[in-house]
Amino acid sequence: MSGGRLELEASLPLRDFTLEVSLAVAPGERLALMGRSGAGKTSILRIAAGLMGPRSGRVSLGRETWLDTGAGIDLPPERRRCGLLFQEYALFAAMSAWRNVAYALRGRRGDQRRRAVGLLERFGIGHLGEAMPADLSGGERQRVALARALAAEPRALLLDEPLAALDPATREGAGRELDALLAAMEIPVVIVTHSAAEASRLADRTAVIEQGRLTATG
Amino acid sequence: MRRPPLARFATAALIVAMATASFMALCGSGGGSTLTVLAASSLTGPLSEYARESGGAGARTSFAGSDQLAAQIRQGAPADVLASADTEYPRRLHREGLVGKPHVFARNLLVVIVPQDGNVDSLSGLAKPGVKIAIGDRSVPVGEYTRVVLSRLPAGERRGILANVRSEEPEVSSVVAKVTDGAADAGFVYATDARVAAGEVRAIRLPGHLQPEVAYAAAVVRDSPHPAAARRYLAGLLSGAGAKALRRAGFLAP
Amino acid sequence: MRLRSPFGLLSALALALAVAFFVLPIVAIFADVSPARLVAALGEESAREALWLSLRTTAIAMAIVLVLGTPAAYLLGRRRFRGRAILITAIELPLVVPPAVAGIGLLAAFGPHGILGGAVHGAGAELVFETAGVVVALTFVSAPFYLRQAITAFGALDRRPLEAARTLGAGPFRAFATVALPTAREGLASGLALAWGRALGEFGATLLFAGSLPGVTQTAPLAIFAEFSRPGGFVAALALSAVLISVAAALLLATKLLGGVGSVGTEGAR
Repeated sequence: MSGGRLELEASLPLRDFTLEVSLAVAPGERLALMGRSGAGKTSILRIAAGLMGPRSGRVSLGRETWLDTGAGIDLPPERRRCGLLFQEYALFAAMSAWRNVAYALRGRRGDQRRRAVGLLERFGIGHLGEAMPADLSGGERQRVALARALAAEPRALLLDEPLAALDPATREGAGRELDALLAAMEIPVVIVTHSAAEASRLADRTAVIEQGRLTATG
Repeated sequence: MRRPPLARFATAALIVAMATASFMALCGSGGGSTLTVLAASSLTGPLSEYARESGGAGARTSFAGSDQLAAQIRQGAPADVLASADTEYPRRLHREGLVGKPHVFARNLLVVIVPQDGNVDSLSGLAKPGVKIAIGDRSVPVGEYTRVVLSRLPAGERRGILANVRSEEPEVSSVVAKVTDGAADAGFVYATDARVAAGEVRAIRLPGHLQPEVAYAAAVVRDSPHPAAARRYLAGLLSGAGAKALRRAGFLAP
Repeated sequence: MRLRSPFGLLSALALALAVAFFVLPIVAIFADVSPARLVAALGEESAREALWLSLRTTAIAMAIVLVLGTPAAYLLGRRRFRGRAILITAIELPLVVPPAVAGIGLLAAFGPHGILGGAVHGAGAELVFETAGVVVALTFVSAPFYLRQAITAFGALDRRPLEAARTLGAGPFRAFATVALPTAREGLASGLALAWGRALGEFGATLLFAGSLPGVTQTAPLAIFAEFSRPGGFVAALALSAVLISVAAALLLATKLLGGVGSVGTEGAR
């Protein structure tokens, strides 16, 4: 299942203005989306993932069309394989860490567990497999959420403020780890952040949303 | 990616199928050849006995207040015989074309019951201030009969008693319960109910001129699925095993 | 909340009064019945029959409520649509209708002369004076108790884990079953316990719609009432009441424990 370029065009009325954006991210490329809160950054991610629909627009990955309001195409999120890391991680509170990670996996339970724990080990928290989300620290939860998103082998990865929920001390180290992780990925990556420093560290390009339009990619 | 949801759906469908099957199994077939008799609560003793004996055709009897029975028949409940604690409900239903001609099959007496160790000894004692009285609600026959008795009393005594009425019960058995409980000092019930609660209550008889005509009438339901058996049941009530059971419980001849 | 503050003390007092008020009538019943009489009550066939009937019919009613009510509550709890408020009010109606009126309504709807009477009969089903009718009456009066709790529980769910599940490849049903249900478990179990309690105590609608036929439709509450018309009945009624209360209490407690009620949700408390 090959990937491709992530392309998105959307028109979405928000409270004070209308969002009109058009962006494209190549495989292996990392785009940072910046802007004030309420600017519509998260909405763009949700449209790309299929959790929300624009008034009109198109979303496609490579040759596969995920959304085309004109042609009446709207693939539900579970068919898009677009990974999304939520701002507060949105872990499944009633499941242990490894079960969270294994959610997207298929196969026998034993194999799932092995693969999930292996993934957690790559993030340095293999020993926390049986822990419940409520018992984990912010940094640990972030890593579980990342592992969970990656376990699904997504064809594009969207991260919503991946470091914002961490305390400053953890943020530095987590930022470096995330940078290394993303560098090795061969899929389009979009990172929403409010921090210019984060944007320049984690991304190849930055786009800013202002008054509903994208400006300054660089 | 398709396996788990399908398995779950299949499980859900299986559970629904099982539930429906067990539900249908509970539906029965309308009692088959057994008679369904709707009878007033005060007839519980004798009619249960009658049903057990062959003369009652193993009838299954549902006891409730006469007003509830009438409501059920009006809604087309599949019953064969109605045995009411009055003549009014059967007559009305007969006029509405829902039951056949009513026949009086028993009579009863209205009495006043007081707790065994109660301190009310006579009818006039009921009018004294502070005495708590329970009577039947207007919609139940025993309530109607009680009001007939009260209407025949001198105005002063009637007012005194009415002022002491603390509750109007939807069933005669509730009136009995209030007195046995001690929640009421006296209650107006049938002589047969007083017999049933003999250990816990005393009955005060009413003088002849106050005693209302308490007549029980029964009728065959028009849409009965077993008309012949229903008529036999009715005949037994009038002069057969049913009549004997009624006599044994203290009901008077029609 | 510190118990030594005036507000804390008043709250504790209010709690003590409330508990006493609710528990006293129950305790009084048990105080009036000797243990020997209680056991004897269980020995009587009519009592056992009535209890068994109550357990069977309420269990089936609860199964119906769960299977039909859970998805319905999910929809009502999570989606906003026109007429939602009216729909919710409609399913809450049985709560404000007197049970006897509910019985008449059921007769008018499903009885032989009822609106759907023909359809019921055509399907080969008999409800009035049959055990199935008891199940119908129980479902009708108790479902709103479950639905209200379920709607609240589902409505309170954070949508983000559900969305996360979708991005991880789960369709709407899998997200519901693996994420929504476990999280809402406590609220659902509370609702089920409420509904089951209501069903166990149901009297008026059952009497009118299904009648009071021993072994067929005479559930425990109906049997207790029927005892009053029999010689020595008051004592028997008390004994059966005590048994019913015990059974109901055990059932409610089990339901709540299985649903995890009381284990979660007190994180903010001290």
